[in-house]
Amino acid sequence: MNHFNSIRELLNTLSRGHKLLAEMFEQRKSLHYRYELALELMDGNEDVIKLLLSKNIIRQNGSLLELDDNFLKFFEEILEVNEEINTSYINENIRQVKDEYMLYFLQATTDSERFKYLKAVKSALRKIGRITMRNIVDLNRNIENAFKTEPTYKIKLSKLENYKLKLEAIQQMIVQSEKLLNEDALTFFKTATDEELKYIKTELILDLTESRQNLIETRKQIIEYINQVKYQSKFIEKLRQLKYLRDQFEIKHKTNIIEVLSKTHSLAFEAKPFYSLKLSLESLQQEDIRKIIKKVINNYHTGISPRKFVAENLSAVDLKVETEKEIHINLYEVKRNFKTSGKHLFDYINEYEFPREVSFAERVTIYCQMISIFEDEFVISENFELQDKIEYALVYPK
Amino acid sequence: MNVPRQTGEIFELLSKGQFICSNSSDSHISKLCEILDDSENFEILYEYFYSINFILEKGDEYYNFSRKNESKADLERKLETACKWIDIVDFFKTFDNAFASGYSFSPARIAVEISVQAVLKNKADGLKSVLKMDEKTPYQEVANKIVELLCKEGFAEIENEILKSFKVLSSFKYLEELINNINIPEEVKHEIPE
Repeated sequence: MNHFNSIRELLNTLSRGHKLLAEMFEQRKSLHYRYELALELMDGNEDVIKLLLSKNIIRQNGSLLELDDNFLKFFEEILEVNEEINTSYINENIRQVKDEYMLYFLQATTDSERFKYLKAVKSALRKIGRITMRNIVDLNRNIENAFKTEPTYKIKLSKLENYKLKLEAIQQMIVQSEKLLNEDALTFFKTATDEELKYIKTELILDLTESRQNLIETRKQIIEYINQVKYQSKFIEKLRQLKYLRDQFEIKHKTNIIEVLSKTHSLAFEAKPFYSLKLSLESLQQEDIRKIIKKVINNYHTGISPRKFVAENLSAVDLKVETEKEIHINLYEVKRNFKTSGKHLFDYINEYEFPREVSFAERVTIYCQMISIFEDEFVISENFELQDKIEYALVYPK
Repeated sequence: MNVPRQTGEIFELLSKGQFICSNSSDSHISKLCEILDDSENFEILYEYFYSINFILEKGDEYYNFSRKNESKADLERKLETACKWIDIVDFFKTFDNAFASGYSFSPARIAVEISVQAVLKNKADGLKSVLKMDEKTPYQEVANKIVELLCKEGFAEIENEILKSFKVLSSFKYLEELINNINIPEEVKHEIPE
C-alpha cells in the first residue's frame, strides 16, 4: 500500500526522520533496536517515530523497531553496501532489454516512441555493467568473510559451495550479456545510431571483459578455499578417529602407525641431544671469566667454605730497603779494546782487567759468549792452543 | 664446496630436532629459512649434511633433519612421542578448529576455553597424565605447560611478550602430515562411533 501522495512528501518524511533512520541503518546487523533507544535518540519526541511508523518506513515488533525491508534494500542498493548477490536481477534485465525494449524500438513507428525505448535500453545496459562489477566485488568479499570468520566447518563449506554456484551464475550472466551485445541485438545496434548508445556499449564490453578476468582469479580463490576447508574437515575427522583409537589403546594394532614411524628417522622424535664440552682451562684463567665463576659459585651451596689464609703483617725489618750490588760485565766494552790489543781473544780475556774478580772458568765462559755474540766480527782461525787442559781456537778481530 | 656462512647455525638448530620455519617472527630464523629456500644453497647444504649422516628435509615452509641411518629413538619412544602429539594436536583442534600454521593464541584464552568447554576440560585432564602433571594442577598452569611444550618442540613461538600471545609455526604442518600419513583401515573406521 502506498502511503505517500508525492515524492516530495516521501523526501520530507525521510528528512524529518533522518537521525533515527541513519542510526537504525547503521545498526541493521544487530537484531534488536529498542523503542526506548529510538525515543532517547529523538530527545523524547515521539511524533517523528509515530510518523515513520504510520508511513511504514519503520515497523514495530513489541518493544523492538526495525527498518522496513523495502527501505533497507533501497538504502543498501544506493549506498552499495548490500552483501547479497542477486543474479536473477540482471538476467531479468537482459531478458527485458532483449525481448521488450529492443523489439519495441524496432517496431515503433514514431521518433518519440523510439527515443523512449532507446532510453530504457541505455539505462538497462548501464545497469548491467555496474551490477556485474558490484556482484563480483561482493562475491569476493563474501567468500573471504565466509572462509575467515565462519566457525562451523559444515556451514563454511556449504557457504563456499553456494558462492561457487553464484560465481557460475555471474559467469553465465556475462556470457549472456556479451551474446546480447555481439550477436542477438545486431539489428538493433545497426538501426539505433545513437552516439551515447555506442559509448555505453563499448563501456559495457570493457566492463564485462574486466569482470570475466576478475572471475578467473575469484574462481581460483574459491576452489582453493573449498579444498582447504575440505582438507581441514577431513583432517579433523581423521584426528578424531586416531584419538579415539589412541584412547582405546588400539592405535598400535589397528592402524599402520608402527609402519609409518619406523620409516621416519626424523630428529624430532629423538630426545634433545646435549653436547657437553670440557671447559677450556686456558680461558678459565681470564679475568672476565672470574665473574662467571663467582656467579656459578653463588648458585652452589655446598656448605664448604674455603678457608682463606691471611699472610702475617710485614715487620719494620722487612720494610727496610736493602741494596745488593752486582757488577755487570759489559761484553761490548770488552770487545771495544780487543781490536787495538793485538792479542788473540783468549789471551786478551785472560789478561783483561775486569771491574771485579773473575775466575778462570768464568773467563772461559766469557770467551765462548764473545765468540757466539760477535761471530761476524771475529776471524776464527784453524789453530788451536792449550791451557789448563782447555783447548781453544785462536780468534782475532776482523 | 663453499657452504653458506650460516651453516653452523642451521646445524645447531636442526640437529637438536628443531625446525626452521618460514613464518617465524624471529628475523634471524627467517633469514636462515631464506638461505635454505635458495635451491642452490639447499643442494649444497643437502650434500654437506648428507656426508655427516643427516638428511636435510624440506617440508611445506619448514626444514628439518632426519637421519640417514636408523633413528636413534627406538620404536617404543617414537610411538610414545607420536601419541603425545596426537593428544596435543587433538587438544588444540578442539580448542579451535582453525588452529594451524599462522594461528595466534594465548594460554590465558585456552584456560578460559577450558573452563567453559566441557570437552576441552576433559582433554586437558587427559593431558595432565600424559605430561606427568599433578591431578590438582590448575588449568591455567596446564595451558601454560602445553603451550610451553609446543614451543619447546618447535611448533610455536612467542609472538608478543607483553600480551603473552603465541604463534603457530609452519612446522605444525609436520604434525598434520604425520597424522595424515597414518592410515586407518575402512573396517576399523566403521567401528569408531560418530
